[in-house]
Amino acid sequence: MTAPAAAPAAPAAAPSLTPVFVRLKLSLLRNGLRQSSGRRAAYVASAVVALLFAALQLLGLILLRGDEHAATVTVILVAVLALGWAVMPLFFPSGDETLDPTRLVMLPLRPRPLVRALLVASLVGIGPLFTLCLALGAVIAVARGGAAVAVGAVAVPLTLLLCVALARAVATANVRLLTSRRGRDLAVLSGLVIAVGAQLVNFGAQRIGSSAEGLGELEPAADVLGWIPPSSALSAVHATGEARYATAAAQLILSFAALLLLLHLWQRSLTRLMTSPDGSTLAAAEPDRRQRGGGLFARLPAGRTGPVMERTLRYVWRDPKTKAAWVTSLAIGLIVPVFNALQDTGSVYFACFAAGMLGIQMYNQFGQDTSAFWMVAMTVASTRDAYEELRARALALLVITLPYAALVTVLTTALLGEWHALPETLGLSFALLGAMLATGAWSSARYPYSIPQQGHKNVAPGQAGLAWISIFGGMLAAAVLCAPVLALTIWLHTAGHGSWTWLLLPVGTLYGVAVTGAGLRIAAPRVARRLPEILAAVSKG
Amino acid sequence: MTEPAVHVHNLWKAFGQQLAVAGVDLTLPAGKFIGLVGPNGAGKTTTLSMVTGLLRPDQGTVEVVGHDVWKDPAEVKARIGVLPEGLRLFDRLSGRELLAYTGRLRGLPGTEVDKRATQLLDVLDLAGAQHKLVVDYSTGMRKKIGLAAALLHNPEVLFLDEPFEGVDPVSAQTIRGVLERYTGSGATVVFSSHVMELVESLCDWVAVIAAGRIRAQGPLAEVRGDAATLQEAFLELVGAHGRDAATDLDWLGGGSTR
Repeated sequence: MTAPAAAPAAPAAAPSLTPVFVRLKLSLLRNGLRQSSGRRAAYVASAVVALLFAALQLLGLILLRGDEHAATVTVILVAVLALGWAVMPLFFPSGDETLDPTRLVMLPLRPRPLVRALLVASLVGIGPLFTLCLALGAVIAVARGGAAVAVGAVAVPLTLLLCVALARAVATANVRLLTSRRGRDLAVLSGLVIAVGAQLVNFGAQRIGSSAEGLGELEPAADVLGWIPPSSALSAVHATGEARYATAAAQLILSFAALLLLLHLWQRSLTRLMTSPDGSTLAAAEPDRRQRGGGLFARLPAGRTGPVMERTLRYVWRDPKTKAAWVTSLAIGLIVPVFNALQDTGSVYFACFAAGMLGIQMYNQFGQDTSAFWMVAMTVASTRDAYEELRARALALLVITLPYAALVTVLTTALLGEWHALPETLGLSFALLGAMLATGAWSSARYPYSIPQQGHKNVAPGQAGLAWISIFGGMLAAAVLCAPVLALTIWLHTAGHGSWTWLLLPVGTLYGVAVTGAGLRIAAPRVARRLPEILAAVSKG
Repeated sequence: MTEPAVHVHNLWKAFGQQLAVAGVDLTLPAGKFIGLVGPNGAGKTTTLSMVTGLLRPDQGTVEVVGHDVWKDPAEVKARIGVLPEGLRLFDRLSGRELLAYTGRLRGLPGTEVDKRATQLLDVLDLAGAQHKLVVDYSTGMRKKIGLAAALLHNPEVLFLDEPFEGVDPVSAQTIRGVLERYTGSGATVVFSSHVMELVESLCDWVAVIAAGRIRAQGPLAEVRGDAATLQEAFLELVGAHGRDAATDLDWLGGGSTR
């Protein structure tokens, strides 16, 4: 079991699995593309972008040849790439049907040839091609001398295999988790890592950009990464070029050992997976949820308002898609004004970002219900019912949004020390929030669309246009709706009535309330009239 | 009880080129256990969706207990209970929370909702799972909690789309018991199914639908006619008789690999 990949072909007369799996992958790809022209276009577009990007990267890396930081950059690039491969299966668990072991359970397959066949099949695709380009470019950038080129010739396929095997090992290990409901919920939430991570990377990059040492700051990190596969394979090429042969040999051996270990782990979890019950039965062990509604929920208003608010708030916490959307809004609503304030590039008005981001949650209210919207539709019999439904949802939103927007505003103001601007910023925030709630209610009624429950897409295929109109049209409309309060703010400042800006707090608040009320009243009859159409639109996920 | 529970006149619905329901006329008597039977894709779900106001018909009228579904939704929605097929529940609520939500949305007082929910959960054998999220329920449990939500406001007419599909025998028996008790009190149940034995054993009134049209409707005995079973009569009605698979597949049987 030490070298599964290198095992000789089975002596039996049975045809080899490997070409079968490669053909299976190709036909799945082809059939998937044949299903719809939209999907074909999307695939071709992403392929072109990926290849273009790969080519540019290859070019960039070739140009990097001879640069003093070449080794640092390539080692880190490969490490990031490997990280991407490792994380990818967590985000797209069903991305590759040929590699889904649960589909192969019924077939009489031995693990060793299966692993080999799956590994080769996973080398087909845009991702591996992209990786190949990058590995090739990295080797070209750092290989100096014939020996280094020879090591490079080994390092490129080694890197590629390591990346693919890593992804497969992680995916297989996770299938058990991902077939349970809780695991899938976690996978959806992992989208947040990207949203928040991107912000952090952004600030990290800014720091490197502003620091005098520049890329040199990364050198210690690269030294460590150089000993971690698959970066170690690349590091070996560099070491060979510098005649540090012992280091090179050690790094190369390390890379090989890692590959064998990964394949071994993969094979083991594959075997276990295919001989034990699937993880969906784990759901039976879900915890109880006793009524804890004594506190907040008991104090909600009676009639339709209370139960709707209660359900909406419970969904913020329990529904992974809704939760992911909320946490993203909360995080970005806080990060943008506060980080900007910390870097002294901010303005106190950035605090309105919190209200704006959270107001987005009012959009596509019924899409958030998914097809369970029928339960709402069955009980909405009049414009009055629809109005109460929308109002309750807006109120539930405000329970979180109002204190949060106020908190972010106060925090931003405190960081900037511009206390005099607090009332007007709060007023502007509330006016914006009101406008977002109003346009959100209206566009929920006019442009509903489905939110698929699985995966990371937030729009059902074919409804992306609707979603764009709904959100961006709505935000534009919200900005226009805010114009009177904005105009008043600007006028107070330019006309020298700076001491009267506190007036914007009551004015903005009242304006927000009035606009919300009007928006709900305009949206309600539309909801009541279009219940079947809304249900059809939100049931596509 | 002279007024029909449901009166459907000239109902049409097309999805693009596909004609799903092509001129359905139905008059379903009140107080009966009514089965709407037909093969897969016959238009059962589409018809029920239009009758319950969840799907807008292209043409035609629907009256439930004398009120037009589309002109007088308030009167109709208060009087009917629905368990659709293929639509989700608010499944991130626990079973009890779902009932509490539905009942209050229906305008029932909170204490009454809680009382009825407790009884329904007991009768439907869900008391032990009442605090689990519906998303973690099995198919049978989901159908049962959906049925509980549909019964909570004591509707006059209950519409169930494939209530026994994917349900284990024990849950099916429980559902059956509740439904029989409910119709026994004079209420109407309309349910769709493609399992003839089930319809035959449960219903006293049957409507057969195929390719978007009603092929027959009336008391069970009348629709069955001279045929030995409803299954026979049904195959006759939809014109699926005489297909015999025995001539092909002559290699099938015995289990040798070649």
